Amino acid sequence: MTLQECYITLGGDYEDVVSRLRSERLVQKFVLKFLDDGSYDLLCTALEQKNYDEAFRAAHTIKGVCQNLSFTKLQESSSLLTEELRSGCTPKVEFLMAQVIEDYQRVVGAIRIFREELMHE
Amino acid sequence: MTGDLSKTQVFGGDDLMGKKIKNEAIHFLLSGLILISILCVCIFLFLAIFMNHKSIETINDVAEIYMSGISKQISLHFETTLRLRLDQVDALTETVPSGNVSDRQATRETLSRNGQARGFEYLGLCAADGTMDMIYGDALKSQNAELFLDSLIKGEKKVSSGSDTDGNRVVLMGIPASYYMEDGRECVALVAAFPVEYISEALSLDTNDDMVYSFVIRQDGSFVIHNSDAYRSSYFERVRALYENVGGKDPEQYIEELQAAMEANEHYSSEFVIYGEHRYLYCSNLPYSEWYLITFISSSMLDRIINHFSNWWVFASMGGCVLVLIVLLLVFSRYFKMTQQQVHELEIARLEAEQANKYKSEFLSNMSHDIRTPMNAIVGMTAIAIANIDDRQRVQDCLKKISLSGNHLLGLINDVLDMSKIESGKMTLNTDRVSLRTVMESVVSIMQPRVREKNQHFDVFIHDISTENVWCDSVRLNQVLLNLLSNAIKFTPEGGTIQVAMYEEGSPKGDGYTRMRLQVKDNGIGMRKEFQSRIFESFIREDNTRVHKTEGSGLGMAITKYIVDAMGGTIELYSEQGAGTEFNVTLDFRKVLEVEEEMILPAWNMLVVDDDQQLCESAVLSLKSIGIQAEWALDGESAVKMVAMRHNMHEDYQIILLDWKMPNMDGIETAKEIRRQLSGDIPILLISSYDWSEIEEEARAAGINGFISKPLFKSTLFYGLKSYVYGSVDAMSIEEHTADFTGKRILLAEDNELNWEIAEALLEDLGLELEWAENGKICVEKFQRSSLGFYDVILMDIRMPEMTGYEAADAIRRMDRPDADIPIIAMTADAFSEDIRRCLEHGMNAHMAKPIDIEEVSHLLERYLVRSE
Repeated sequence: MTLQECYITLGGDYEDVVSRLRSERLVQKFVLKFLDDGSYDLLCTALEQKNYDEAFRAAHTIKGVCQNLSFTKLQESSSLLTEELRSGCTPKVEFLMAQVIEDYQRVVGAIRIFREELMHE
Repeated sequence: MTGDLSKTQVFGGDDLMGKKIKNEAIHFLLSGLILISILCVCIFLFLAIFMNHKSIETINDVAEIYMSGISKQISLHFETTLRLRLDQVDALTETVPSGNVSDRQATRETLSRNGQARGFEYLGLCAADGTMDMIYGDALKSQNAELFLDSLIKGEKKVSSGSDTDGNRVVLMGIPASYYMEDGRECVALVAAFPVEYISEALSLDTNDDMVYSFVIRQDGSFVIHNSDAYRSSYFERVRALYENVGGKDPEQYIEELQAAMEANEHYSSEFVIYGEHRYLYCSNLPYSEWYLITFISSSMLDRIINHFSNWWVFASMGGCVLVLIVLLLVFSRYFKMTQQQVHELEIARLEAEQANKYKSEFLSNMSHDIRTPMNAIVGMTAIAIANIDDRQRVQDCLKKISLSGNHLLGLINDVLDMSKIESGKMTLNTDRVSLRTVMESVVSIMQPRVREKNQHFDVFIHDISTENVWCDSVRLNQVLLNLLSNAIKFTPEGGTIQVAMYEEGSPKGDGYTRMRLQVKDNGIGMRKEFQSRIFESFIREDNTRVHKTEGSGLGMAITKYIVDAMGGTIELYSEQGAGTEFNVTLDFRKVLEVEEEMILPAWNMLVVDDDQQLCESAVLSLKSIGIQAEWALDGESAVKMVAMRHNMHEDYQIILLDWKMPNMDGIETAKEIRRQLSGDIPILLISSYDWSEIEEEARAAGINGFISKPLFKSTLFYGLKSYVYGSVDAMSIEEHTADFTGKRILLAEDNELNWEIAEALLEDLGLELEWAENGKICVEKFQRSSLGFYDVILMDIRMPEMTGYEAADAIRRMDRPDADIPIIAMTADAFSEDIRRCLEHGMNAHMAKPIDIEEVSHLLERYLVRSE
């Protein structure tokens, strides 16, 4: 699996990220690093604890990271969630969070496969 | 299209129905009017007759009371007169004592004297046998001597009639008294008399009054006193002879009734009509006599008054009736007219609704056709792609077409959604700060490929716009411009010309506003007059034969009009069939009040070359406002001459702007010529409203250094030319900027490690040194601890734990150190204008949206790092 294929799988814009970061090496480095990013766990914890301020910040961070890495899909869903959380808890949060979870799993799943293949090479 | 056929028949049926309803209404109104008129006449007639009758009755009652009163008065008066005379005679007897036989002569003299003094013409003494001994006056004879004498002998006072020797009729009055007569006998009564005329005069019986006349009669009907025209001796005879009918009674019957009343000594009253006159009769007994006073009162005067009154009454009621009828008629006719008007309006409204419905169903059938076309393409292309899944090129082609059709379909659906939003009143404007430059640039860039496809000439004129930032809904403004432009492109044949122009005027809304006039002009097929008047209605499209292949929902202009209306602007249309169309949109925008970045460039000498004089003049004005002296030329040849002339004078232009598309000698040729003649490195820039990607190579080869894209706003010129300030001639290579930052130190506040690493990797490439602050608090602390001028710029994330970017910026600005004004650039994933405003409010210098864009970063950093040098 190439990095480009990985991007297609996780729902991102490969051309965009490469044109901004200018090097596939850098992109690959950051994409792999995404697995270690704690923002998602933070978001989950915050929502569990009903700490909506914290959840807003975490969602915001995920959105920022996704923008930097051009993870279009996840960026869209996390952006919607961020806007919803901006005004605290609303009935839509749960529904939007479900989308974020789905998109996040997709991104993480794709990166994991990419990493596995990379290690075996 | 099939749905339209069934419509026409329904229309005819509805018309008949409408007429029927109308006729029924008229019918109802007319019959109502007639009915009410008849009713009105009847009521008034009844009132007139009934009331007339009633009033006559009432007046008769009143007259009766009045007349009976009068006749009572008359009989009372008569009585009083008689009584008075009797009393006088009585007084005579009382004042003169009867005395002795011997002095009877003296008594007679006294009586005579006193009698004459009281106005009696006759005075005598009456013996018990009826012989009269006259004291003075002629001998008298009572007409009813026995009855008279009887009463006197009985000692009663009595009045009677009689006559003297000459036959003069007199009234006799007897008072019992005992005087000695001439012959020595004692008399029974003193008799005084006076002529009948005296009573007639006293009672005014003689006066020929229309109203009242009286008789005095005896019980047998014979007259005692009568007025002159009654020549018969008996009243009863007179009645029998003159009248056939007395008050509805036989004369005999009347006489009997009258006699019966006399007999019973009662009053008698009656009322009858004689010679057309109402007469009232009152009969009463007169005292001390066998006489009866009959008083007649004629009501002729009253009748006249009553008739007059009843005439007036009739006239008044008739007049009232006529008046009421006239008013009624007026009201009805007015009401009728109003009803007619309403019916008419309803009819029009109905026709309009039908028309609108027709348009809608036409629109629906068009739309379903229009939607089906791209949908068919999508389905078909998908099938082809599946069938040729291994043929990569084929699949790619199919996908491209699918994507095109999909976009087209999306456009149609968006229009329909917009329209339904508008129709349900749900479309609102999201006003935000907007750069008109950005709007125009994006509109131009969207339109470029379509213009190129149809090989049309496209030009954008910006006429000296000083206010570039306004409050406006950019999405909707874009929509307006795109709608107008795509219509212009659609209805202009290949090779035609399309122009967009923008003018700024003072707004009538005040200083805080600016008025923008947007003009979209083409020389396409134009529109028919009838269509022009309907173009802004929903679901309208120019007739299908002429623009058969035109796609679109037909909603664009309605949406455009609605948006312009919602923005409080106006849209005007000038079009001529075959000559072209021009739309003028006028909008008042609120200015964005902010301290504009000062846009000043060195006082260069510049040359602007464009075949449009207006553009040249407006560009020169814009350039002047940013400090540049510019001259202009209208074609390549004169431009080359001007450049050569300047060169000879050793006053070379510092920058030359060339329009790409010019007649005869285009921008590239002109550039070639200039380069050929002048070896120097004067920057030559190409201005164009077209996408230059395809001519880039050719242009560079011709010695062109860069491009500035139309529309030429002040800021477009400023930012386009700014890069030449520092001698970096080639605007197209970013790499040259990046070298400048070596050794600069940046403090980057960012809570997310991954983001930090990305930023670090990117910025280190520019030669910058970065330090990481994990949150706002650490950032503030690091800055606090640093030596003066250690950091050159702070990049600040906004959403951070411990301390947000806003708070951190506040804290840094509050510090008491000379470099507390260090440039702070906000970096956030939010790109809302509100966020940007907040950043600026918290003392940050600029705002940058994530994701980090190396070009944007270097531009911004260049601005702050270069400035701080």
